[in-house]
Amino acid sequence: MAHTDAHSSRLGRLLRGIALTAVVVFFLFPIVWIVMMSFQTNEQILRIPPRLVFEPTLINYKALISGKLVTAAGSLDLPFMRNLGNSVLLSAVSVLVSLVLGVPAAYAFARFRFRLGENIAFTLLSFRFAPPLLVLLPLSLYFQDLGLANTYTGLIWVYQLICLPLILWIVRGYFEDASPDVEHAYRVDGHSWWRAFTRIAIPLAGPGIAAAGLLAFIFAWNNFVFALILASADKQPVTVGALAFVTASGIQYGQIAAAIVLSILPTLALALYAQRWLVEGLSLGAVKG
Amino acid sequence: MSDQRGLSVHALEVTFGRNHLLRGIDLDVARGETLVLFGPSGVGKTVLLRAVAGLEPAARGQIIIDGRDVTTRGPDARGLGMAFQNFALYPHMSARDNIASPLVARGVAREERERRVGAVADLLRIAHVLGHAPRELSNGQKQRTALARALIGAPGVLLLDDPLRNVDAKLRYEMRLELPRLLRNAGAATLYVTQDYREAMALGDRVAILLDGTIAQLAAPEDIYDRPASRAVARLFGDPPINLLACRPTDGAGGVQVTAAGLRRVLTADRGAIGRECLLGLRPDAIDVHAQPRPGAAPAELVATTPLHERLVVLLRSAGGEEVVASVLGAVPAPGSQVWFSAETAHAALFDAASGARIAAAAPIMEAA
Amino acid sequence: MSDIAHPVAAVRVHATGPRSARLLPYVLSLPALLVCIGILVPFGTAAWYSLQRYNLAMPFTRGFIGLDTYLDFLSDPDFWNTVQVSAIYTAATVILELLLGLGIALLLRQSTRLNNAISVALLMPLMTAPAIAALMWKLMTNPGFGVLSWLVARGLGVSDFKWASDPRTSMLTVVLVDIWVYTPFMMILLLAGLRSLPTQPFEAARLDGVPGRFVFFRITLPMLMPYIVTATLFRLLDSIQQFDIVYAMTQGGPGDSLMVFQVRAYLEFFQYTNVGRSAALMMILWAITYALSNVFVKQWLKLRERAHGAH
Repeated sequence: MAHTDAHSSRLGRLLRGIALTAVVVFFLFPIVWIVMMSFQTNEQILRIPPRLVFEPTLINYKALISGKLVTAAGSLDLPFMRNLGNSVLLSAVSVLVSLVLGVPAAYAFARFRFRLGENIAFTLLSFRFAPPLLVLLPLSLYFQDLGLANTYTGLIWVYQLICLPLILWIVRGYFEDASPDVEHAYRVDGHSWWRAFTRIAIPLAGPGIAAAGLLAFIFAWNNFVFALILASADKQPVTVGALAFVTASGIQYGQIAAAIVLSILPTLALALYAQRWLVEGLSLGAVKG
Repeated sequence: MSDQRGLSVHALEVTFGRNHLLRGIDLDVARGETLVLFGPSGVGKTVLLRAVAGLEPAARGQIIIDGRDVTTRGPDARGLGMAFQNFALYPHMSARDNIASPLVARGVAREERERRVGAVADLLRIAHVLGHAPRELSNGQKQRTALARALIGAPGVLLLDDPLRNVDAKLRYEMRLELPRLLRNAGAATLYVTQDYREAMALGDRVAILLDGTIAQLAAPEDIYDRPASRAVARLFGDPPINLLACRPTDGAGGVQVTAAGLRRVLTADRGAIGRECLLGLRPDAIDVHAQPRPGAAPAELVATTPLHERLVVLLRSAGGEEVVASVLGAVPAPGSQVWFSAETAHAALFDAASGARIAAAAPIMEAA
Repeated sequence: MSDIAHPVAAVRVHATGPRSARLLPYVLSLPALLVCIGILVPFGTAAWYSLQRYNLAMPFTRGFIGLDTYLDFLSDPDFWNTVQVSAIYTAATVILELLLGLGIALLLRQSTRLNNAISVALLMPLMTAPAIAALMWKLMTNPGFGVLSWLVARGLGVSDFKWASDPRTSMLTVVLVDIWVYTPFMMILLLAGLRSLPTQPFEAARLDGVPGRFVFFRITLPMLMPYIVTATLFRLLDSIQQFDIVYAMTQGGPGDSLMVFQVRAYLEFFQYTNVGRSAALMMILWAITYALSNVFVKQWLKLRERAHGAH
């Protein structure tokens, strides 16, 4: 707060610096520590006291990527790459489906006043706030009957609960911010409704649609409970897979750390890329960054 | 009249929820004619334009373009050209692609498109900025690009929504001179929305005054200026606005005698006006200011003066304390001076004070006093 | 779920043209709705299950029992434990995250390059999957090699601090993880709010020599309130439904020390196969979140209208 004299004094600046350093250390140290761990052998990890300087090794990543850990005691299967692939597949396809369903709906809510319109929009919003288990537990029984249990289709369907509200409400805001006159002008020029939608409305809301898609991808990637309940090992994403990995591999801490790094790397990279829209995405379009 | 080439609007009604935005609108605009829609903001001018364009649904009535009933057709099936007040250019396309859009919609071949875009760009003097994106254009260039886009398809009906609203004064002046020629060449039935009565006078073959969602008067611009249908129309159309002076007409030889602000006149008017509370409407440019007393002139104090275009607007206070605005050519005495004013009553109008309706066309038969 | 509806005050365009155009908005929005209706059906089923005696392991005992499950909860210490644990968890996380988030937002208020870099860096925990974050902290608090265990033992001299494995400190541990993950959420929303405040009141206060504390409590805080309320409600709604962190860290243990609503419902379902009880627990949680989300939506709409201007 630069507007108070106390803070511009030397003591104030010092306290500020200390506070900020503490904040940065608290929030970033765990990530740094896990990254360091992922480049250490189990022996290095178990050394007491922990060391900041060590000889990095890629053995953990090699084991994860090759899917096999060969030790003196024998060889151990590491299905983690499959989890990673599942995460990519589930998140990407879910977002694509959400975009196909959500962008036209967002456009309808932004441009037209129609009976039930707001009810539908708020129903979709309410999914964001209902306890997921309320739906998931009965759904796990239904999915058995429908043959959707442990299928990508079933999971992608349920993932719409995460992606759709986000895309719908963010993209709606972008459509509302664009002047409808531009589309009207295009219609008057003699173009059909569909062409005005695809040639004018969508390109103009493009950045918002892209941002909403990236954010939905991040949230889908980070989801845990849906796949925990509805998927078994071969369909599980990294969030569930990593937990299973800990249980299965017991003391392979280096590989666990490497798995964690690989699990969070994509979302951190995307978040960095989409940081400009993060605030808007996190608040479902209510706050602009 | 529906077989006529041009635009016909019959008994059009537009509603929003339970509110009537427009009621009982009847218009006929021939090809080559410009009809100005004039009125204060929020009165439904733009709604009417949008209803004709198919951007606002008609609750009732018909819209007929070149003999074809288009009331239920989408905006793309009406064959119109339209220029929006905010230009509504496509921000992700070059000026060239903006202008070519109506031709693309019609599937015109590329070479033909290029040729016609070049021609209309030359006409509007924007050929040198065709490669620019809208955000790189000046307001004037944006406005010309929007006009070019409206004109290029040689539409049967041209809708111009206050196209000079968002451009600066100099450009507005130039375009006011240029537009009549452009519109004549376009040969379309043109609906032109404006809030500026000078624009209406300069561009309109006829003017429709819109008030409260209905047409209050539809006539040639001079007719509206000289013979406004009501007090509201009289006040709207003209700048500075018309003087409305309270009076109670009495029986005069051959007409009704009116005394207002110290002036006494006999007007030909419906004798039913006698004894009723009325308002005498005098245009500021029908009032002359004199430094010396003269017959028929009433005394007043000159309160203030303001230059407006080539004329001088003068605020007078009559002996009875009423304020009268005059718009004169040439010099007047300094503020604070005692002056005399007279009125040329050829176009004076008498309105019923209660209803605001004009009582009758008033022409003087003789001057009393 | 469908009636948290509050009409947005916005002038919008009518569907125009022929009759088919009037159906357009329905055509555009129905696919999205249909996909979700399939997900809405289980919601109705859950309500129905909660009124039944329904244990997957004993299908023959299944039958309608009305509100008995709910009434049994009243005298069930396990249920009250869940209420208490959830309440403590929610209150602790939301309050601490609000205070911390507000403090950090104030520290980063000025838009300098360093501050912006820090605020982006601080988003990393938020972008980490909460379940993965729990694993990270599990490793850090590992008694064998965990850096935090080592720090506590060496730095504070406490040798038997067992973090999540001890019922006395398990709550503290998961709250710490929640704070690590979600404080950046508060921070980033409040920072956006702070930076969107008009500058004139602050300049005027500085010119008048108004003391900093007064400026904070009388100008900053009231102006920031819509953002604080929205962010807090957001977190409240999420925190009361916490599952990922607790489940990944301890699966609700040790003992019943972390049996928040969703974890309890999960275990009732999968461990004790008691569908009826599990559904009833979820219905109670839903009722709470439904009430909260009604308050939330009102606030959220206000902010949203501000962000997108008056249409």
